[in-house]
Order: sequence, then structure tokens, then C-alpha cells
Amino acid sequence: MIGAGAPALPRWRRGRAASAALYLQFVRLAFLKMLAYRLRYYTGVVSYTVFVAGNYFLFSAIYASRPEGAEAARLGGLTLAQMIAYVILSWAGRSFTFNNIDRTLSWQVSKGEIAVQLIKPLHVQTMMLSEAMGEAAFRFLLFTLPILVVVIPLFGLAPPPHPALYGWTLLSFLLALVVNAQINFLVGCLAFYLKNVSGVVRAKMIMMEFLTGVLVPFTFFPGWVQTVVAWLPFQAVSYVPVMIYLGQRPGASLADALLLQAAWALGLSVLGRWFWNRSVRHVTLQGG
Amino acid sequence: MNAAGLPLIRVRDLCRDYSVSRRREGVRGGVVDLLRPRRETLHAVDRVSFDIASGEMVGYIGANGAGKSTTIKMLTGILTPTSGTVDVGGLVPWRDRGHYTRHIGAVFGQRTQLWWDLAVVESFRLLQKIYEVPDADYRRQLGRLDELLGLGEFLHQPVRKLSLGQRMRCELAAALLHAPRLLFLDEPTIGLDVVAKESVRTFLRDIRESQGTTILLTTHDLGDIQQLCRRVIIIDHGRVLYDGDLEGLRARVDDRVALHVELREPAPSAELAAATAGLPVQWREAAGLLHVADFSRRDVRGAEVIKRVVNAQAVLDLRLAEQSIEEIVRGIYRRGDAGELS
Repeated sequence: MIGAGAPALPRWRRGRAASAALYLQFVRLAFLKMLAYRLRYYTGVVSYTVFVAGNYFLFSAIYASRPEGAEAARLGGLTLAQMIAYVILSWAGRSFTFNNIDRTLSWQVSKGEIAVQLIKPLHVQTMMLSEAMGEAAFRFLLFTLPILVVVIPLFGLAPPPHPALYGWTLLSFLLALVVNAQINFLVGCLAFYLKNVSGVVRAKMIMMEFLTGVLVPFTFFPGWVQTVVAWLPFQAVSYVPVMIYLGQRPGASLADALLLQAAWALGLSVLGRWFWNRSVRHVTLQGG
Repeated sequence: MNAAGLPLIRVRDLCRDYSVSRRREGVRGGVVDLLRPRRETLHAVDRVSFDIASGEMVGYIGANGAGKSTTIKMLTGILTPTSGTVDVGGLVPWRDRGHYTRHIGAVFGQRTQLWWDLAVVESFRLLQKIYEVPDADYRRQLGRLDELLGLGEFLHQPVRKLSLGQRMRCELAAALLHAPRLLFLDEPTIGLDVVAKESVRTFLRDIRESQGTTILLTTHDLGDIQQLCRRVIIIDHGRVLYDGDLEGLRARVDDRVALHVELREPAPSAELAAATAGLPVQWREAAGLLHVADFSRRDVRGAEVIKRVVNAQAVLDLRLAEQSIEEIVRGIYRRGDAGELS
């Protein structure tokens, strides 16, 4: 059927090394892009400090209002010092793991900008995850660290029960970052099906504060709520790494807690891959 | 061996339907719509067929909603047709997207493929990695594009600080860094001033000649077509109305011309009309000594009209104005009947 046509266009696959080089480039560029907006984050340091301060005063008051006694010194299994550490690490962790993949992707989809990505030999999910990594590197250096530098002298951060937990907490927050990025990617893909996804994105953001444990530790909740959140991926975004720091890791052991996060990271990326392919097929079949 | 002249793109009976909901009127209609929406099929692209040879530059034109963008979407692989086939060098765009995207470049006038907050050159280096362009090739191609488009001055500026004309030049360079075989341009000169338009057109001509790039462009600006494309495909209501060269297009429509006559001394239009009595010519007075005769070259030769006018009046100057492509195309849209033209 081709007959007297022009010479066939060669087929082509990207090798592993080239892939690594490409997606590292996305990490680098996302970092540079954030750097261009670094001024914006100075005000962020202030607002995070205010969040931490608000929670600090709230929990201090709650703990102070309890009658004296050994049992009263703990609330939801945490002492006041642990509670303060929980507040600081939750918010500092959020400043690190947060990204706007959901908003960016849904905007690109609803405006049709995604076409520009689709006509390139790119794996969009990997691209967005790489960008999230670059953004996180920026956030860690120029956002999370400054927040800690301000907040720790103000409110005091109790050390973890074992020095090795510093390292494990850091690793756990890295996994938290991946889980959060994959959740955001999935939410962003909804824009392929929904006309107005900004409401969903906003609702998700508010729900996340609650379901990840940033606002209140799960141990404050009734038993059935704890059971529900234990089966959801959101705890892997904040609750798990913070509890690892406090030496109160959820699950039987430290390894269990980390494996749970890794399983969610992997599971959600497989789900994201499936959902992305399905969405692209949907949009190429239905038209955008 | 030169591949020019052989068909690179083969489109056969390409159709794309959309299901659209048609709303009923009033509150009652709104409620009924919610319960039982009324769906209708819209034939956005309807049995479109054409070949495009390797190295050809083709203008794809039509009114808004004529089916241009839908066709481009299918040709770039981001939309699956309802029926029909597209074969580009042995690849099916939407099925072999992963392979196919390596060989195409595209500029969608209103969208950017550059990173808004970063220096232009950063986007270019990223594109180099995306398309796996070897360093030597990348440098050579960037040098060539720089020479043609004059990018040097703003290569290190962030994209958001560029003017539209500068940005469009960067978009074109971005689409061509990997020296694609095919270039799709959707409204490449939209919003540009005259100078910027001209430099984009010159560039496209150069790149086609030097690299043999096959170019398909949609545009509202018929100046683009006039200056760039020997061949045009006109689409309306999803169907091809005309496929051929510009001259053929003129010949197939009424080919109306306007003869501008400047007289030495004032005279009423009626006198001029009397001179061309019996010929299908309409006269109108433009301003003072200037009169205009409208006629179709199908019905009457320009020389005949000129001879009669010169014999009857003292003429200072004469000018024969051909219809612009825009007017020709408008005429075709008005008729809208494919049968007569193709």
C-alpha cells in the first residue's frame, strides 16, 4: 500500500541512559524555575511560622487545661514536647512535600495546553514527577530549612528517641514526596473527564490537611476513623514520617512503616500510569 | 536521491464526528435536557483525502470551525479519527504516537512549548534531550536557526520577557531543533506585526528549501498563503472545497477584476457606462476623477474594456486590480458547493 511513497520514517525508542539524562534535566529546570520565584517563598516562611505558632499555642492550652497526673500528661499518646515536635515536623514536612502537579496538570488539560506535551516523545507522568523532585529540592533548601531555622529556636524541637531516626525520617519524607506527587497527578488527570476540576483540586487540598494528619494526629480520632485512614494512602504523606521521628511508628516496626510508604508510592504510580493512558485514549477518542 | 515529490502524507477518506448536545429552550427544556440530553452528530471532518509530497509547503485554510484544527490534530496524532486512514511514511500518527512524535514539529500559534520562566536557551537544551539530538547536530542546527531568525539577542532572556514576535521566532526554532521531517503550523503569524510576519515567512521559505521540511500550515492570513504556498487546500464544513495551486483557484472562481480609471477631466459615470454599453461591466465613481469598472474576466477581456474607455475619454491613468485571495476564498465559502470546484 505504501508503494511509491517517500522513504519510511524510522521507528525509535529512547534508551535508559538517555531517559535518565532527560528526566534529570526536568529536575534541574524545575529547580531553576522555582529559583526565579524565590522571593515569593520568603513570605511563605512567615505564614508557616504563623501556622506552627497557632498550633503551638492551641495544643499548649489544651495540655495545660488537663488535670495534673501521669495520664494527663499525654494526649492521644503524645506528651506536650512530642506534640510540639509533631506540629513542627508536620508543617515543615508539608513545606517540603507540597507541589502543584494537580493544579498544573488540570490547567494544562482544561486549556488544551496538554497537546504541546502529547506531540512530543515524552512520558508526562515521569516528567511531572521529575519536576516535583526539582521543586522539592528547591523547597528543602530555600523553604523548609529556613522555616526550621526560625521555628526551632522559637518553640523547641525535642530530639527523636534515637539519633538514627533523623535519617529514617528524612528517607520517609522522600517517600512521602513521591506519594503526594502521585496523588496530585491522579487528581490532575480528572480534568480529562470533568469540565471544571478546580473545585475538586481545592477540596482535595483541604481534605489532605486532615487526612494526612497535618492538622491533628490520627491518635486524637475515634477508633473507626483511625481504621479508615490507616487504609488510605494519605497517611504516608505526613503522619507516617512524623511518627517515625517520634519513635511511635505506625505498624509493627520501622521497616513496616517505610515499606507501607514504598508500597503506596509504587501502587499509586502504577495506578497513575494506567489512569494517564486511559485518559489520553479518552481524549484522543472523544476530542478535547 | 532526493525524496522530494514522493507522497509523504497520505490521507484517505478521513472522517471525524463529534457528538454534541443540543440544548432545548426555556426552563422546562433545561430540565428535560438534564434528564434526556439530545445528542447530535457533527461531522467536523468529512471524507477528506489528499497527498502531500515530501518537501511540499501546503496551506490549509478554512473559516473557524471548518475542520482545520481537527485535521491537524489527527495528523499530529492527538486525535483518533472516526474512520479513514492517515499514513505518514509508514506510521499511523495516533497509533504510533511514540515513534511518530520524533519526526514532527509543531507550532500552535496561541500555545507555547517554551518554559515561561526560563531563558530560551534552557528550553532549547531540554528539547535537545527530548529528541536526543547529538551535540554536534544541535549546535549546527541552532547556528542555522539563529542565522535565519536572529535569536542571539534574546537567547538568554526568560521567555516571559519576550515580545510576541520574538517569542514566535523562538517557537519556530524550538519546533525545528530536531530537524523534523514534518512541520505543522497552526496560525504561525497570528498577532504579529508586518515586519515580524515577513521574517517568519522568509524563514519558512528558507527552511523548506534548505532542509526539505514538509510544511502544512493553517492560517487566516492569506498573505501567508500568497507568499508561501503554491498549493492550497480549502476546507469548509469538514469537506475539501478546493485542492490545487493558487492560479487554478483564481481561474475556477469568477475571477473578478476592478479597472481603476483616472480621467483628465470630470465626466459622469453614465458616459463611461455608455462607452462600455453591451459589455457586462458595472461602473462606480470612486472619487472625483477616479472611476472603477467591475467585471469578470470570464465574461469580458480587460483589453476590450480598456480600449473602449480610452477611445471614449481622455484618460490620465489606468490600473487593473485583481481580486485578493481573501475575496476569492470568501466567494468560495459563499458558494460552499464542493461539486463545482473539485
